[in-house]
Amino acid sequence: MASDEERDGAAAIAPGEAARAISAIDGSCSWLADRIIAPGWYHLAFGLLAGGAIAEAEIRSWVLFAWSVAAYAVGCGALLWWNQRRAGVEMRYFDACTRAVFAGHVLALSGLIAFACWLDLDRGVRGAFLAAGVLAVSLAVVSGRWTDALLRARLRAGR
Amino acid sequence: MSAAACFDEIVHAPNRLQICAMLSAVDSADFATVREGLGAADSVVSKHVRVLHEAGYIEVRKATCASRVRTSLSLTEAGRAAYDGHVAALRAIVSNEAFRSSVRRRGVPAE
Repeated sequence: MASDEERDGAAAIAPGEAARAISAIDGSCSWLADRIIAPGWYHLAFGLLAGGAIAEAEIRSWVLFAWSVAAYAVGCGALLWWNQRRAGVEMRYFDACTRAVFAGHVLALSGLIAFACWLDLDRGVRGAFLAAGVLAVSLAVVSGRWTDALLRARLRAGR
Repeated sequence: MSAAACFDEIVHAPNRLQICAMLSAVDSADFATVREGLGAADSVVSKHVRVLHEAGYIEVRKATCASRVRTSLSLTEAGRAAYDGHVAALRAIVSNEAFRSSVRRRGVPAE
């Protein structure tokens, strides 16, 4: 129940002023939503890290494989840290929608790796890991941009 | 779930409303980001942040990173409730006016 003072405060506000205040809120949320847009190379870098680790399997060197996995882990961490510093905000990146995109990405990537393994190791098709690596780059870019779009929509809605 | 409409004088000031709007959508934001969003001077933003902090609406955290102090701001539970209630009150004012306007437009013309 609102107190008399609160009701007086609300009563003193003209509808035009309230509309301007709401417009300012929307403006702030839009500004923040635009700020979190990652640069074009950001998702490509994620893709190159994942694609590089997969394509490297073509060489069949365990040492190189271990290095590429380590580079993937460190690179992803560094990119996430840099992007958070750049945007200057900490936010819940995972809600129901973005979690679904992320889960879809992980599943697609796993399927891609499994298919490349089957082609290369079972069927002896050379270049399967290389092709899977190239596809992984596109997959990372698409899911990254999709996640960005969902996050922007959420911020614009002020949620 | 929509918050109960409750006008809040502390939140209503334009700069403070924008600070709350930015912080409501994220877990925390750097002071520099908030200042950039407002397009105001450090001193102006500091003043509004202090008012919100003293009201218990925002939490101010300072962390030292590479010999630089980084200040981050986040809404407290009380601040989020006050902001949500205030926005609901503003929307109620606007929608009441829209309702009155539509009634006036649909009114029976004078003979």
